[in-house]
Amino acid sequence: MGKYIFQRILIFIPTLILIAFFGYLIMELPPGDYVTQYASVQNARGNKMSEQAQETMRQELGLDQPLPGRFVAWFGRFIRGDFGNSFELNAPVKDIIFDRLGATLLVSTCVFIVSWGIGIPLGVYSATHKYSKIDNILTTLAFIGLGVPDFLIALALLMLTWSMTGQLLTGLQSTQYVSAPWTLPAILDLLAHLWLPVIAVAVTGIAWVMRVMRGNLLNELGKQYVTTLRAKGVPERTVVWRHAFRNALHPLIAALGQTLAFLINGFAITSVVLNVPTLQAVYLDATIKQDIPLASTILVLIGFLVLAGTLIADILLAWLDPRIRYT
Amino acid sequence: MATISSTTPTTPTPAVAAQELAESGPILSVRRLMWIRFKRNRLAIVGALFLGFMYLTAIFAGFVAPYGARETYSNFASAPPHGLNFVDAQGNFHLVPFVYGLTPSADPKTFRKIYTDDTTKLYLLHFLVHGEEYTLFFGLIKTDVHLFGVGSDAQLFLLGTDTQGRDIFSRVFYGAQVSLSVGLVGVFLSLIFGTILGIATGFFGGLFDIITQRIIEILMAFPQFPLWFALAAVIPVTWTPDQVYFAISIVLSILNWGALARQVRGMVYALRETDYVVAARYVNCSDWRIITRHLLPNTLSHIIVIATLAIPGMILGETALSFLGLGIRVPMTSWGLQLSEAQHTRVLLSQPWLLTPAIFVVLTIISFNFLGDGIRDAADPFAK
Repeated sequence: MGKYIFQRILIFIPTLILIAFFGYLIMELPPGDYVTQYASVQNARGNKMSEQAQETMRQELGLDQPLPGRFVAWFGRFIRGDFGNSFELNAPVKDIIFDRLGATLLVSTCVFIVSWGIGIPLGVYSATHKYSKIDNILTTLAFIGLGVPDFLIALALLMLTWSMTGQLLTGLQSTQYVSAPWTLPAILDLLAHLWLPVIAVAVTGIAWVMRVMRGNLLNELGKQYVTTLRAKGVPERTVVWRHAFRNALHPLIAALGQTLAFLINGFAITSVVLNVPTLQAVYLDATIKQDIPLASTILVLIGFLVLAGTLIADILLAWLDPRIRYT
Repeated sequence: MATISSTTPTTPTPAVAAQELAESGPILSVRRLMWIRFKRNRLAIVGALFLGFMYLTAIFAGFVAPYGARETYSNFASAPPHGLNFVDAQGNFHLVPFVYGLTPSADPKTFRKIYTDDTTKLYLLHFLVHGEEYTLFFGLIKTDVHLFGVGSDAQLFLLGTDTQGRDIFSRVFYGAQVSLSVGLVGVFLSLIFGTILGIATGFFGGLFDIITQRIIEILMAFPQFPLWFALAAVIPVTWTPDQVYFAISIVLSILNWGALARQVRGMVYALRETDYVVAARYVNCSDWRIITRHLLPNTLSHIIVIATLAIPGMILGETALSFLGLGIRVPMTSWGLQLSEAQHTRVLLSQPWLLTPAIFVVLTIISFNFLGDGIRDAADPFAK
């Protein structure tokens, strides 16, 4: 086991470096750079920037160096935890990320709990009541859930709550609580805002978990050991939950890395629409403005996170499932 | 037929064999069996029919839509849906639906535009009316006949108008031309790329295989949306709409070919050792012949299934990118671009009808999911 984990981590490291390079390179691909972008914005406002001023700005930001040199310098600082300064927001990238991390983790964790907590029981129910009326309804609903983009659900919910209560549930907090201490009303206010983005993204999550769970469990229930258990007279509840369910859970655990990717994808647009201060919203803004330190740091961190998720899933699975031999 | 052979253990006479054949029905080809299985899936049929309808209306968008793609009525900007009626204000029933006249006015307090129906004026719906000129089939046919309309005196805004005063209903069809095709182009690109690489790496293996697998792994470590944003931001502002369109479909396919290449590689890997491929090798078939005659046909049904299931993701991707202003650009239009007007909550709350194109997005994606699922079940030879 120890050797297996060691080996996996050993492969992990070169992949991380490649991801970092790739993530950095993509940000560098657009024609022009932050300065051209900045100059065009300034031009539009009527402050013409001379070529000389642009060149000086480039030198200040280190954008006059060739690309490989910049990557090595950036990566060297990156692994030491120094993510540099954001061009646009003129603040350390680390602070910006830490600022948004709370909201990002909060909504993601909630979505994860809601989609697994609801999706798994529904999936088990639909598999054990295959082709019943409720199973058919659930399966159709799951199809619809997979088809509706989360940001549209968010917009629809936003409209609905506004027409019903007259409250606009954007952001995570009402303005008076933004920098207030965490008192009870502040927490209640947070919860009143939190459900909307969570539901919007969790709909797809529930549908996905349910579909996977149903398929896996059906697959397991058709196997011979289940027939044997039933022939022995083991109660159906024990057959399903103690035996089949445990085996059906493995593919879901194996997809943990994918789940992380899903959580990151899910909030990419919803948080822009709902004005939730997540990392994805900052990232989107940074890509458009070519704020390379900020955008590439977030992109690379996301890549790391998904890769780490896959690694953890693999190790967890090897530990949970004795059939997997780790060599 | 199983009972016959068990009760009469003698060798089957020609008569018995003929009877068996008659009972089991005609021998069906694999394709025919697939079609029979596919037909049994009602949801897949509904999905296929809806998609057929959507693609047809997209091809004949100019004809189906009562207004042109860029026909603007600034007097009637942000008008709510103005539908067809059968019963007039006096309670009389009309066999041909009609619309009331629409009069814009401003709210004296808020200066917001309000629209009132002028119930004294009735405009009957006409079929095959003359309207704005448009072209079909990339400019081959030029005409101004629209399927239906109410003439130039009245307004027929079935789904309302957007903030600039363009008919949303008409623009849904023009938007469909982009939204429905960008997924197909994207899937086509990733199919070609993914299949070639998948077969090549699975068949030849070696260093090339290892490098390709690493690249795919890295690509797949990035969640779709952040990577799409980054790549869409690469597209220069100076590009023409057509160039942007193709660039978007390339962006959408960039994450897709990897998954496809992996699956094809896995299948080819398994097929490579099968008896018939080994036999083909012994009779001196060239690699090219083995690939095109044996490997490709055997992986084809699988590839088609993967492709069908990949299209909705791409349509969603285009919608999302255009919604955020990173995708299709004006003067082209797409569903995502139409929806992007609803991005500002203030606008959305005062004009909720801006969200109606979303219904088409959702229905299309669901239909593709149903269709893909149906094809997958039909293509599985072990399905009951």
